[in-house]
Amino acid sequence: MKIYFKSLGMHLKSELEYRVNFILSFLSQILVFFTYYFIIIALFSKFNNIKGFTMYEVLLCFAIIQFGFSSNEVFARGIDHFDKLIIRGDFDRLLLRPKNIILQVLCSDSDFVKSCRLLQAIIVLIIAIIKLNIKWNLMKVITLLLMLLSSCVIFFGIFLVAASYCFYTIQGLEVRNVFTDGGKHMAQYPIGVFSKGFVLFFTFIIPYAFVNYYPLLYFLGKNDSIIYGFSPLIVIVYLIPCIIIFYLGMKRYTSVGS
Amino acid sequence: MSFIEVRQISKTFRVAKKKSGLKEAFRSFVKREYLNIKAVDDISFSIEKGEIVGYIGPNGAGKSTTIKILSGILNPDSGSCKIAGMTPWKERVKYVKKIGVVFGQKSQLWWDIPAEDTFDLLRDIYEIPEEEYRTTKKDLIEKLNLQDIINIPVRQLSLGQRMRCEIAASLLHNPEILFLDEPTIGLDAVSKQLVRDFIKKLNKEKHTTIILTTHDMSDITTLAKRIILIGKGKVLYDGSLKKLKDKYETETYISVKTKDTLNFKKKGIISKKKNKDGYELVINNKLISISELLTFLSHKISIEDIEIEQEPIDKMIVRLYEDYQI
Repeated sequence: MKIYFKSLGMHLKSELEYRVNFILSFLSQILVFFTYYFIIIALFSKFNNIKGFTMYEVLLCFAIIQFGFSSNEVFARGIDHFDKLIIRGDFDRLLLRPKNIILQVLCSDSDFVKSCRLLQAIIVLIIAIIKLNIKWNLMKVITLLLMLLSSCVIFFGIFLVAASYCFYTIQGLEVRNVFTDGGKHMAQYPIGVFSKGFVLFFTFIIPYAFVNYYPLLYFLGKNDSIIYGFSPLIVIVYLIPCIIIFYLGMKRYTSVGS
Repeated sequence: MSFIEVRQISKTFRVAKKKSGLKEAFRSFVKREYLNIKAVDDISFSIEKGEIVGYIGPNGAGKSTTIKILSGILNPDSGSCKIAGMTPWKERVKYVKKIGVVFGQKSQLWWDIPAEDTFDLLRDIYEIPEEEYRTTKKDLIEKLNLQDIINIPVRQLSLGQRMRCEIAASLLHNPEILFLDEPTIGLDAVSKQLVRDFIKKLNKEKHTTIILTTHDMSDITTLAKRIILIGKGKVLYDGSLKKLKDKYETETYISVKTKDTLNFKKKGIISKKKNKDGYELVINNKLISISELLTFLSHKISIEDIEIEQEPIDKMIVRLYEDYQI
């Protein structure tokens, strides 16, 4: 873990080498991502709810997914851009180091410019929570934290599976964007607003529903079952096959020419 | 049991067969044909502790693939390999602590920050004790002459400076085996010399086993007593450089400065070319010795000056490759 934070620090150090570039990208990212939130606000100026979810409820959901996605972009960039690691041949280098491979991939890259998304997600999250008048209790705090955690975990898992595919083709896979970006856009709204097929898919195949639908129902007081509150934990189980798939892929690694 | 034991290792790559042109690109997008390429085919050898072995062969012969298998990056399809009692691709984490690898064409240093920061990170990765780290680092800085460059962002270093830092980075954990994959590629004469001297010293002082691939034959002549030649994935020659030289170095180049004309034929003279000062001769050592030729020449003509040159080793290698049809 010490190594991870140390390399994170070094990435920051090397990004700060290009100071002007860093500031400009940071600002432009902020502008781009506020448009996402404006879309939701615009939508709700026409309709005052979607299938019973109000604007702040949707924003909360949105912020949680953005939080998970962008923390992966900042802290697990190496998995997100795994194809580059393989194509450039840098993966060979990682295999020569006496440390866990997934940890090293995490150490290999990070993108601090994206931390502005993270910041935005947190701001929106706070605004939404204040406006929602939640009846707080300990369990709700736990549920909220679990939702944030599982949001990070689920994207990590999906990135990991997408990365495994690189072992077979030495190429990034656009299909994976259906599950990451596409999934992200779907999951930004409470899954329940979609038709039943989608709900089943995002419950059992990629468990987005456990990140921001079932726990959300509990959090908002729409369902009182405590099981719903703890449901994000299922996502952690989902991570296990993702890791196994990654290691199976690694056995097939063929490297690139010198 | 030798320190490094490689037994009948094979590795096949499956590559998509592609023809040029957009139409073909579309076709291969839909239906792909594959070719199996044997990068390494039934290779066996053993290396003792403390040896320096030059691993040579033309481009695409399988040199890098072998290095990647030996360093645990790739799993071979078949065969076995024991290095210091371990199988590289099975006990990866334990094994890689004992080896250092330098890829001449790939950098392991962080591009935008000084090399010293990379060194510090490597200390944590390899869990090198502080005391040991400090002495090794000091030693490497001294021997590779890094004092002035270690605090400059790597991207601003010249290739030669960077290569010295690369080598230092691979040796911080005092590995028992060092793999060097084209360590002198693109370096100028001074840097090359520095790198070679350093490798020699390392081998002598720490008995590090060194396996070196290169296309620069002077690397081999200065460093390795033993060479392994591979081509098309097979071991073609394994033995001393001297023996190979005796077998292949059969031509000597002699340039004679004279005003007279040479008008004779003699067995053993392969070619004769006139230039403005005299003649350039190529002789076959097996048919005529240099002293024989000199006595012969001095009887025929008056020699003002003479220069004798052995066949360059590069040319010898070309003939060697031709002989083995690789």
